[in-house]
Amino acid sequence: MPPGWRRCWPVRRRADPMPRAIIHLNIADFAVAVERQMDPRLKGRPVIIARAAAARAVVYDMSEEAYAGGVRKGMPIRRAMRRMPGATVLPPHPDCYERAMGALLKRVLPYSPLIEPGEDDGHLFVDVTGTSRLFGPSVDVAWRLHREIRTDLGLDPIWSVAANKLVAKVATRVVKPVGEYIVGAGDESAFMAPLSLELVPGINAGDLSRLKEFNLTRARHVAALQLSQLAVPFGHRARFLYAAVRGIDSSPVRPQNQMRYQSVVDYTFDDDTNDRSVLEGRVYALTEAAALDLRCRGLAARRVRIVLDHSDGVRRVRHQIVSPATANDRVLFKIARSALHQAWTRRVRVRYLRLVCDRLCLPPAQLPLFDAERSAMKKRNHLIDTLDRIRGRFGHDAVRVGRTLAACQAAP
Amino acid sequence: MTRLTLQNCRIRIGTSGYSYPEWIDAGVYPPGTRAADMLSVYARLFSATELNYTWYQMPRAAAIDRMRQKVPADFGFAAKLTRTLTHEIKAAQWQDEAARYRDGMAPLVQSGQLLAVLMQFPPGFDRSRDHRVYLAALLDALAGLPLAVEFRNASWAVGPVFDELKNRHVTLAAVDAPELPGLFPPLSVVTCPDRFYIRFHGRNARGWRSGNMQKQFDYNYTEPELTEWIDQRILKMAGQTKNGVIFFNNHVRGQAVGNATRLAAMLAGSSTG
Repeated sequence: MPPGWRRCWPVRRRADPMPRAIIHLNIADFAVAVERQMDPRLKGRPVIIARAAAARAVVYDMSEEAYAGGVRKGMPIRRAMRRMPGATVLPPHPDCYERAMGALLKRVLPYSPLIEPGEDDGHLFVDVTGTSRLFGPSVDVAWRLHREIRTDLGLDPIWSVAANKLVAKVATRVVKPVGEYIVGAGDESAFMAPLSLELVPGINAGDLSRLKEFNLTRARHVAALQLSQLAVPFGHRARFLYAAVRGIDSSPVRPQNQMRYQSVVDYTFDDDTNDRSVLEGRVYALTEAAALDLRCRGLAARRVRIVLDHSDGVRRVRHQIVSPATANDRVLFKIARSALHQAWTRRVRVRYLRLVCDRLCLPPAQLPLFDAERSAMKKRNHLIDTLDRIRGRFGHDAVRVGRTLAACQAAP
Repeated sequence: MTRLTLQNCRIRIGTSGYSYPEWIDAGVYPPGTRAADMLSVYARLFSATELNYTWYQMPRAAAIDRMRQKVPADFGFAAKLTRTLTHEIKAAQWQDEAARYRDGMAPLVQSGQLLAVLMQFPPGFDRSRDHRVYLAALLDALAGLPLAVEFRNASWAVGPVFDELKNRHVTLAAVDAPELPGLFPPLSVVTCPDRFYIRFHGRNARGWRSGNMQKQFDYNYTEPELTEWIDQRILKMAGQTKNGVIFFNNHVRGQAVGNATRLAAMLAGSSTG
């Protein structure tokens, strides 16, 4: 209690929630920003990121100048070049973007244990609730972060501070490509009201099209409707829409250390491929590596995610639930293969694969009820145990599954 | 209590900023106070505040107007000038920024609640020719607003600067800060008969250049220190001006609140005594 000040209310109860403070950092046109940081001559010039050599290549990212000229993400490169003939076209470098994201994360780590990075896209949420006694007001932390990132990394993120993730994200979208926005606590609804619904994260193309049919284009238009009215055309989506247009969002910032509770393996093809057997073989090899990692840690995965980069820079991500949780190669592979085929819907060749096993838990103790299933499971586990033992003694390549041979032969 | 009249000078006392979650634990705000309600609760304790967030972000008229509606009509605001006009100046953009700032503050100007615009310059802003030219141009661009200038560089503490501020009716902010070499000294020079402006930053010399506000502004004023300010400066400045604002910036653990309340009581005592 400050000296000279007499408190006239009871001390804080544990149940009283601390007002939340979420910082959102958003590096506009992240891929271009990283390329410009590597080659400063690109500054101020229209830049398009796309694999121009690939047939049917599409735009992966573009600079603000190219955007102003009519270039859009996903647009065929030929059309993009017709709209912006003088643009510099660069191939995507996902590894560089990943490294830049790692450096960004490193800058932010000292300020909070609750950091949620995006998928190598220059987005980062930082929950600084309750840290003011250590680092000062949240706006000052945001400004300092911005200054450090600009000075040390040469990147210029847009920053915002708000009471939740949704409003913080909308705020950075409002001032894009540069600037900052502080949304005062309690101001969320008034801030959202005049904004276009296209700026609200989570409102998808289907929702927008439906909302437009009702001539609802601004957040305030939807906010004027009651939940029961929204429920008629939107069903279970009504609750989300009702909250989002008012700037209500209770979703937590996922702590950075949760990111370690996953097993990640990846592979970049020397020659881009769309050969099914090669792709499936590589997915099996990746599954083997991830599953071995899980078994070594005594864990099992409840979800498998496949990230796939095409030659033209387009990325596809799909995931599948694993139930019950497992660390068995063969079971995980079946699910990973299914995710692969969900993600791999284009004829364009594939350059990069990543397999992520997450939502980790201790392996379930419950055995199958019926003898036949129990016996099959034991057999599968016994096979994997044997493979692990052989590899542990003679090296990983001492024994291989036939399925991976195609992938290995494809590699030089 | 935090609004009083001393020698015909109307004085308001408050703190620099009001939105500090740690003030709940410090007992300034009731438990469970939502961030959105802090200004309303603050306005029950003080008659004025200094807006810090306008330094980080260009004020927007709609947000300022919503904030204004949370307080009584006679509550006053001082607002810091945005950093793009004081610390991160871009030669090609600052004039547009000044115009935007003026637009953003319009609701407070129209309601008569804008007490002052505080132009706080960094320690590196010395009295070089370029900086003098810029300051003159900025004062022209913001003319008509109730301006106050706070320097953090001692090179500005010279007679010609005070004379020019007097000509322009711009207040020179008096500051209490640690006695460190190169810092602008605590003066009681009055350059504008309309108002004086005092800021108490605390005297934490070790934390001043730490880059962390929690260390820089962690200080609790003693009664003799406040008495010295009243006797040597505040009474003198009040005798030469019609209005005055005093803000405590030592916000850590709510010390600013305790000091502001104490100073108000001491000044009230000296006005009746």
